[in-house]
Amino acid sequence: METEVIKKILDAEGMDRVITRISHEILEKSKGTENLVIVGIERGGAILAERFRKKISLIENVIIPKGSIDITLYRDDIGEVGTQPLMKGTHLEFDISGKKVVLVDDVLFTGRTVRSALDALVDFGRPQWVRLAVLLDRGHRELPIRADYVGKNIPTALEEEVVVHFEEKDAMDEVYVARKK
Amino acid sequence: MKRAMLVLEDGLVFEGESFGAEGEVFGEVVFNTSMVGYQEILTDPSYKRQIVVMTYPLIGNYGVNYDDVESSIPQVEGFVIKELSPVVSNYRSKQSLGEYLYDNAVPGIQGIDTRKLVTHLRDNGVKRGVISTIDLDADSLLQKVINSPEMTGRDLVKEVTTFESYQFDETLLPEFTWPLLELKKREVFNIVCIDSGIKRNILRKLNQHGFKVTVVSATDTYEDIMSKNPDGVFLSNGPGDPAACDYLVETVKQLIGKVPIFGICLGHQILALALGGQTYKLKFGHRGANHPVMDLETRKVEITAQNHGFCVDVDSLDSKDIEVTHINLNDKTCEGFRHKRHPLFSVQYHPESSPGPHDSDYLFERFHQLIKNNQASGQKV
Repeated sequence: METEVIKKILDAEGMDRVITRISHEILEKSKGTENLVIVGIERGGAILAERFRKKISLIENVIIPKGSIDITLYRDDIGEVGTQPLMKGTHLEFDISGKKVVLVDDVLFTGRTVRSALDALVDFGRPQWVRLAVLLDRGHRELPIRADYVGKNIPTALEEEVVVHFEEKDAMDEVYVARKK
Repeated sequence: MKRAMLVLEDGLVFEGESFGAEGEVFGEVVFNTSMVGYQEILTDPSYKRQIVVMTYPLIGNYGVNYDDVESSIPQVEGFVIKELSPVVSNYRSKQSLGEYLYDNAVPGIQGIDTRKLVTHLRDNGVKRGVISTIDLDADSLLQKVINSPEMTGRDLVKEVTTFESYQFDETLLPEFTWPLLELKKREVFNIVCIDSGIKRNILRKLNQHGFKVTVVSATDTYEDIMSKNPDGVFLSNGPGDPAACDYLVETVKQLIGKVPIFGICLGHQILALALGGQTYKLKFGHRGANHPVMDLETRKVEITAQNHGFCVDVDSLDSKDIEVTHINLNDKTCEGFRHKRHPLFSVQYHPESSPGPHDSDYLFERFHQLIKNNQASGQKV
């Protein structure tokens, strides 16, 4: 299906600035890196989580543990949508109990992905707290979920699509809003 | 600006600017509190397989010359500083520190928070680490560090000792002749120096104090050494874990009681092991030119140059035979002992300074006196 780019939101530099800012905010609110873990939601969220983690490592000079979760099996629409996403698997190299978890996703939309991620997360233990960091909040929530750290709020119409490209998988960093033609 | 990364085994990570050579090196990350003397520190064989962090923030302002080296090449694995002086100014300077490290393939990293790094090492003990300009991924570097060898149990003496024995005869640089010019005309003793990674200034100091020095390899046997008919034996400084140098301990065991012995640094530890004692690894070691040591006999405090990561366990030594003569005033660890019956003594620190204050110069004199008394009492074999 053809899409048409309506508006560019972020380029590579802009995305890096947002990541830098949120990294500092995370550190400020969590008062340092003790027990702090960054967990990304596969797949965009995991890439973003890795960027936060690297940025925080260089700000605080401490390597913090990495983790990503795959929510495929926790989706409330599993079996309803036509094509099944590829399973990436959950990778948590630490015990989640007692940790300060920052959950990361690229776009916050209905809130259903985050709900599934929370379900997945608590299956691994009982974190001290969980906060949510997203690169973009495009509105249209269907569940009572909000983000603690937001890169950009972008008003969108329901039929529009927010496209996030990462260098790691799409060769360049960019965010734009598109509409199906 | 080329980037470089420093990662410790416990996950501390620093990103800074590369200087000197590029590459990837592993070693034990230790810190030195000297303000100056980086050239002596870089070339001190006791720093083998170590990455040295300088606590003083500005390094390199007087460049590098041909005179101040303690061995022919830099021995450190890597060098970590806060800031490399962009200006080099000294009448003896031949090249900048960056050029020197580049020529000798030693990677350096600057522009990192060395205060944070040193505080961490002081609180948590020395750690293995890596400096890399090739791989800038913290996770993969961390994995590599964890897989790198530990310092405990490592015999590094064989890597730095001389292959062939040689005579050392070199006059001191004018600035080091102080305060002993009057000692030039005196009895000269032949001594054998067992090289476990000796610094040149020790040899110069021995020359100056009236010793004719034959340097031999650390792997030489008791018979090799005695065949040179020495008046005394000197045990040098050196890198690594003394407990791993069993061959050297064995040689020294046989020498005890036969000839007067003076040991410093690793030599001190080897002597303690040969006397049946134990050594252990200090949390973060003593490295620098400002360590206070008390001579328990005279109650005098001297400011000493030190470089050691291991220490002699006083309790493991038989107090009937051994008398502790010096202690470190910072942490009360053993810095020197003597034997009550045999003519031998040793210190953990570096009386030759280089770099450092000359307070402990009297120890070379004490060795001279020890040999003299020993010969007078007719104990010489």
